[in-house]
Amino acid sequence: MTILQVALDVPVARLFDYAADVGDAVGKRVLVPFGRRELVGVVMSCSPASEVPAEQLRAVTRILPGSALPGEWLQLVGFCSRYYHHPAGEVAALALPPGLRRGEALPRPAPPGAWIPTPAGIEAAPSLGARSLERRLMEGARQAGTLDRPTVAAMSARARAAVRVLVERGWLEPVEAVPDLAPVGALPLHDAQAGAVSAIAAALGRFDTFLLHGVTGSGKTEVYLHAIAAALARGGQALMLVPEIALTPQLEGRVAGRFPGARLVSLHSGMGEAARSRGFLQAKAGQADIVLGTRLAVFTPLPRLALVVVDEEHDASFRQQDGMRYSARDVAVLRARQRGVPVVLGSATPSLESFHHARSGRYRLLKLEQRAVAASLPTVRCIDLRGARLHEGLAPALVEAIEARLARGEQSLVFLNRRGYAPVLACPACGWVSGCDHCSANMVLHLADRLLRCHHCGVQHPIPRACPTCGNQDIQPFGRGTQRLEDALQALFPAARVLRVDRDSAATAQRWQVLCARIHAGEADILVGTQMLAKGHDFPRLTLVGVLNADASLFASDFRAGERLFAQLMQVGGRSGRAELPGEVLIQTSYPEHPLYQALRQHDFDRYAGVLLEERRNAGFPPFAFQALLRAEAPQMAQALAFLGEALKVAGALGHDAVTTYEAVPMRLARVAGLERARLLVEARRRPALHAFLDAWLERIRGQRVPRGLRWHVEVDPGEL
Amino acid sequence: MGVLRHTPAGIPVLQFRLNHRSRQTEAGLPRDVTVEVAGVALGPQARLLAGAALGSSVRVGGFLAERSARSTQPVIHVNEIEFLEQDNVQR
Repeated sequence: MTILQVALDVPVARLFDYAADVGDAVGKRVLVPFGRRELVGVVMSCSPASEVPAEQLRAVTRILPGSALPGEWLQLVGFCSRYYHHPAGEVAALALPPGLRRGEALPRPAPPGAWIPTPAGIEAAPSLGARSLERRLMEGARQAGTLDRPTVAAMSARARAAVRVLVERGWLEPVEAVPDLAPVGALPLHDAQAGAVSAIAAALGRFDTFLLHGVTGSGKTEVYLHAIAAALARGGQALMLVPEIALTPQLEGRVAGRFPGARLVSLHSGMGEAARSRGFLQAKAGQADIVLGTRLAVFTPLPRLALVVVDEEHDASFRQQDGMRYSARDVAVLRARQRGVPVVLGSATPSLESFHHARSGRYRLLKLEQRAVAASLPTVRCIDLRGARLHEGLAPALVEAIEARLARGEQSLVFLNRRGYAPVLACPACGWVSGCDHCSANMVLHLADRLLRCHHCGVQHPIPRACPTCGNQDIQPFGRGTQRLEDALQALFPAARVLRVDRDSAATAQRWQVLCARIHAGEADILVGTQMLAKGHDFPRLTLVGVLNADASLFASDFRAGERLFAQLMQVGGRSGRAELPGEVLIQTSYPEHPLYQALRQHDFDRYAGVLLEERRNAGFPPFAFQALLRAEAPQMAQALAFLGEALKVAGALGHDAVTTYEAVPMRLARVAGLERARLLVEARRRPALHAFLDAWLERIRGQRVPRGLRWHVEVDPGEL
Repeated sequence: MGVLRHTPAGIPVLQFRLNHRSRQTEAGLPRDVTVEVAGVALGPQARLLAGAALGSSVRVGGFLAERSARSTQPVIHVNEIEFLEQDNVQR
């Protein structure tokens, strides 16, 4: 009998021992009894004996079919569990596609790519009717040596069935088609791109981290594709992570077009569960050459992994915000190190962490300072709002600039990072505002849907007919969201085609595809968009970007706010003038002399990033310190604060000198979905000190009783404070 | 007269100014009076007024309220409207 250590998807930070009559089941999925339920788990290790008394030890119900998860995958799960201080079972569940997590039957393996004739088949073929389909299939296979799927499909509608019969008779034998991995239609590289590609190609076969820092439109994707070609040519698999589901279809098209023979697997949460399981297993079996996906794809097993690419590495969507709060970018770097392969982090606006590592020599910096197609970067100007007369939030200079684009048949984008019609509905008579009952936030007016909606908890109500407090019917929207801006622009330019792109108008990947196609086809003159439009897109006729309400983020309290705003504006500005037409960016601001806007005007990322890094160094913030947050949420703020206060006492009793713990404080958005939230920050100058402390501290906290309704979690390397 | 607008719930609102001119008695003596006040009408009354020509003569009833929580200026909220024959009106 063997004892299996099983990772189960339960919030308990340990593995569970079960007995089984097998030799080795490491990496297998198992069905086990757990309390009165049955759960699916993953066998992390095996041992001959257990510390659990024999009478308490339960037996595995059954070992699920399918090949074992590879050792490197189990190691990755183990590492994430330790690093993010999260139960291994929950990590394993997160890292598996939902179908496999639930222990469903494995989807059928991908059909074979080709068939070869067997000697028996060649011998028997002449016995077939001279004109029969079977005869023609056998003859074709004999002459060409193989019969591939397209040939079969082209022959007749009945050919697939005929092949099946021939396989059953043992006259044909299925084989895996040998993919043709050669790239087609590769674009010529400029010098800096070529230099970057050869540096990455030279590192294939060993661990190295590259920061590909290229200005917007500098052709980073082309560098990735060339590097992937080099990895495939060595017989390797490439893993490419992208921030948004919305961005994958375009990139997928480009990758598929470049490598028409390669087996490309896409993985993102917008896909069907069966497709996700199939992609995962295909990659695991080594039958995928390129895996392209969002953050969850970082956990795909890849036996021949040769290269990892993380596009837009600064992007916040690489961070998971619930369950195990991990950074897919950081996990990607870890994976590359674990596997001894190079990883390329690409961005026009690298995160300060990566920028710092590149400056200190830990990452190798590859710079692309020229745009690939356009002659130059767009001109960036500030429109001083002081004393300006705005029309519906638009300064005259911006309106004129849009007018000029319309006259030339070019596209404009007006960027406003706030969806809905107006951020709040208010009563001018008594001062009532549309607060959410469950959150410390306002309900946003969505006029098109005739709803008030909370963007934090998702609750929605019909728009009240009158002020709930005083009865005044003339309640009014205050402030401006993309819907209101869309209306205003349409009223200003009645003949123009105004297209709004935000999470409401592009709620699904399909709708986003339709919008995107319309923009590309030139069926829109003025785009109104949120950050959805800021990332990665390439619209050749877009020559003007107007930025509204950027000042709102200028003085935000989060220490990363400046970094994020700078990156966001540089990214959105980078959408203009990417092709032959020159681009312009106009930023409406009341603080045109602010260093952030000055740096944007000069396209000087390095200098401003340097300034921000110096501020971080002086303040002792990341990347010069390592942080973790303990967060608690409870029906009452006092409960959350009391729990954290206890945790602080426990920390004091542990006496770790190298770690600083701060007071528990309510979170900025204190109440969400009826729960009140507080946090406690822990900081250390060195990472190992932080983790040693967390190990000891969290173990003590896990042993504590918590009041009903209180939940807590820890976030390592938090993205926001 | 302003442009007819709608509240987010779809109720029509019309803002306008009302001109009044009359002869009144004050401390026993007659005098001429003129006044212009801001007015607002909601719902059917807003539609009714929006259809009227600028300068039409009306007799209105309603109530006074402050313009907003931040202003003490009175605004007449019109609940009843009676359009008067042009002939009866002194211009």
